[in-house]
Amino acid sequence: MTTQTIVQSLASGLLMGLLYGLIAVGLALIFGLMDVTNFAHGEFLMLAMYVTFFLFAFFAIDPLLAMPLVAAALFAFGAVIYLLVVRFAMRAKTNVGMVQIFATFGLAILLRGLAQFFFTPDYRSIPTSWLGGKTVSVFGVFLPVPQLVGALVAVAAFGALYFFIKKTDFGRALEATREDAGAVALVGIDKNRVFALGWGLGSALVGLAGAIMASFFYIYPDVGASFALIAYVTVALGGFGSVFGAFAGGIIVGLVEASTALILPPSLKSVGIYAVYLLVVFIRPRGLFGSI
Amino acid sequence: MTVSRRTVLLGGVASAALLPSVIKAQAQTPTEVVIGVIYPLSGASAQIGVDAQRAFETAADIINKNYDFALPLAKGEGLSGLGGAKVRLVFADHQADPQKGRAEAERLITQEKVCAIVGTYQSAVAVTVSQICERYQIPFLSADNSSPSLHRRGLKFYFRAAPHDEMFSTAMFDFFDAQKKKGQKIETLALFHEDTIFGTDSANAQIKLAADRGYKIVSDIKYRANSPSLTAEVQQLKAANADVLMPSSYTTDAILLVKTMAELGYKPKNIMAQDAGFSEKATYDAVGDKVEGVISRGSFSLDLAAKRPMVGTVNDLFKAKSGKDFNDYSSRQFMGLIVMADAINRAKSTDGEKIRQALVATDMKGEDTIMPWKRVKFDEMGQNNDADPVLLQYTGGKFVTISPPQAAVAEAIWPMTK
Repeated sequence: MTTQTIVQSLASGLLMGLLYGLIAVGLALIFGLMDVTNFAHGEFLMLAMYVTFFLFAFFAIDPLLAMPLVAAALFAFGAVIYLLVVRFAMRAKTNVGMVQIFATFGLAILLRGLAQFFFTPDYRSIPTSWLGGKTVSVFGVFLPVPQLVGALVAVAAFGALYFFIKKTDFGRALEATREDAGAVALVGIDKNRVFALGWGLGSALVGLAGAIMASFFYIYPDVGASFALIAYVTVALGGFGSVFGAFAGGIIVGLVEASTALILPPSLKSVGIYAVYLLVVFIRPRGLFGSI
Repeated sequence: MTVSRRTVLLGGVASAALLPSVIKAQAQTPTEVVIGVIYPLSGASAQIGVDAQRAFETAADIINKNYDFALPLAKGEGLSGLGGAKVRLVFADHQADPQKGRAEAERLITQEKVCAIVGTYQSAVAVTVSQICERYQIPFLSADNSSPSLHRRGLKFYFRAAPHDEMFSTAMFDFFDAQKKKGQKIETLALFHEDTIFGTDSANAQIKLAADRGYKIVSDIKYRANSPSLTAEVQQLKAANADVLMPSSYTTDAILLVKTMAELGYKPKNIMAQDAGFSEKATYDAVGDKVEGVISRGSFSLDLAAKRPMVGTVNDLFKAKSGKDFNDYSSRQFMGLIVMADAINRAKSTDGEKIRQALVATDMKGEDTIMPWKRVKFDEMGQNNDADPVLLQYTGGKFVTISPPQAAVAEAIWPMTK
């Protein structure tokens, strides 16, 4: 094992990790806001990738340009899903947690099925784009441009999100609703509106991730599954509900995955992630940066 | 009389009530033969399953309607041995999960009353499906599974008309030997295979052949199927930089492998692929420009249409249904149903044991198939050893047959990148 192999592994792990963080942060945001785990999160990612693909296929819009459009589309989609599905699931009198799990899980299966029906199960990909297939090499370490841009977008998105939550009225309303939904109603904040916007925001973030990933990953109805699993462990590791936790958790997952593959056979590389997670559960069950 | 919703409903109830007696009446001379087809119709390999459905439907169509070409059962309608009974297919979805495959096989046999089952794409699923078939004494035919261990389990009701991965891998090493004789340098090999039975069996066959014939394996990478990233794996391949890279990967991983290799600046000297993802159109649509010259083993070649026009005709029928040309998988699926239906026709019965005996007695000439095979004849383990594999090279946007010599239409470009 040469130094270059190690540096390359860590660099790739870091880039992938930032992207994992970006995929996971929407999940963390929604969970932090209203204690709902969106089990259709992977399918949101899949839809974002398809939107990017169709924008490219029909209108020749490059994934990079499509990013804000995809984020906007997913924002609307997330808000609608809250208003049509989650809002009702939360009205359950008993077992509200279970109802939410099955509602979003059912949504996941439905979205996957609809995607297969309307988009066919064919594997799609965007063959040529501004970023796709390009690589920069720094001292023999290869950094694929799509992942590099993805990492930059992730960092920017996290920065903006942090600012948004801490400094804007809506961000404060978001935090207040999360702390005590009953009390905010008394001061005239519409809980449903905040929740719908929270779902929109969380979905828009996964939309950004999907638009970037569409330029270097294959797209098919089940593509969300393997990323969703990583997103859940990222959120659990970083701390439920913590936006910064998702950021840190993503980086840790990316680095651990890459370094596990250096030591163990690659088929076991996800073992490292879960080993670290179990360790965190042992020491700090609410996750590294969990506040709940 | 006005037809109200109620009368329609009543009619439905009435005909449903009549149904059991109708079935009983048919028991002596069946007007249809029900065959179960188990594929991944949803999930990560749904695309394969959906294409397979079109291939099986094409085969059933040829059997059930009258066509004029040399394929068995094409002439005349239905199965003549069963009084012209039509073949009806019942599709089941195993989602690439061996346990779902087991449950679906059981459902097909006990509830749909199928008399035979054909499947399954993933070898891991074929393991459980064939066990269930064995228990119920229903013949199972692997249309497109290639793991060699499948036919070595001593199952009486297991059959495979197509080659397995040892035969495929032998063809690859025969080709290497031939290239070496021509003065090419081939010393080191790198294996890259997924972690289910398909990948591991394929790698085991290749490791054994490499040892026997004096090739050195410098890297043997087993990876987790459908990984979100293959960066670490590709780095190791790049570090090893073998003379030939030998992937055994399904479509998703094949696409990601090629993309990641390009991203990390690794251009393999040669790629000799164990089919699967590397024979799928989706892979070449996505990354074809990056793998010009890749060689994949296969059991089918459209080049055959030049010598055997029937191949082109059947391909046109399939293309009308699916919008795609036959590939290595759809051709084997198509042929699988023909072989099974031919046995049922000769058995003149839908009894499992009688069909099994007819399968054992199968002796189909290669010219009567759409494959480059010598013939279809099963050994005592249910394997057809006369199914000769071919090697195909991807050049200029299509596959050309380069080996074995009797089927080749072009010289191999070796090394693949000049």
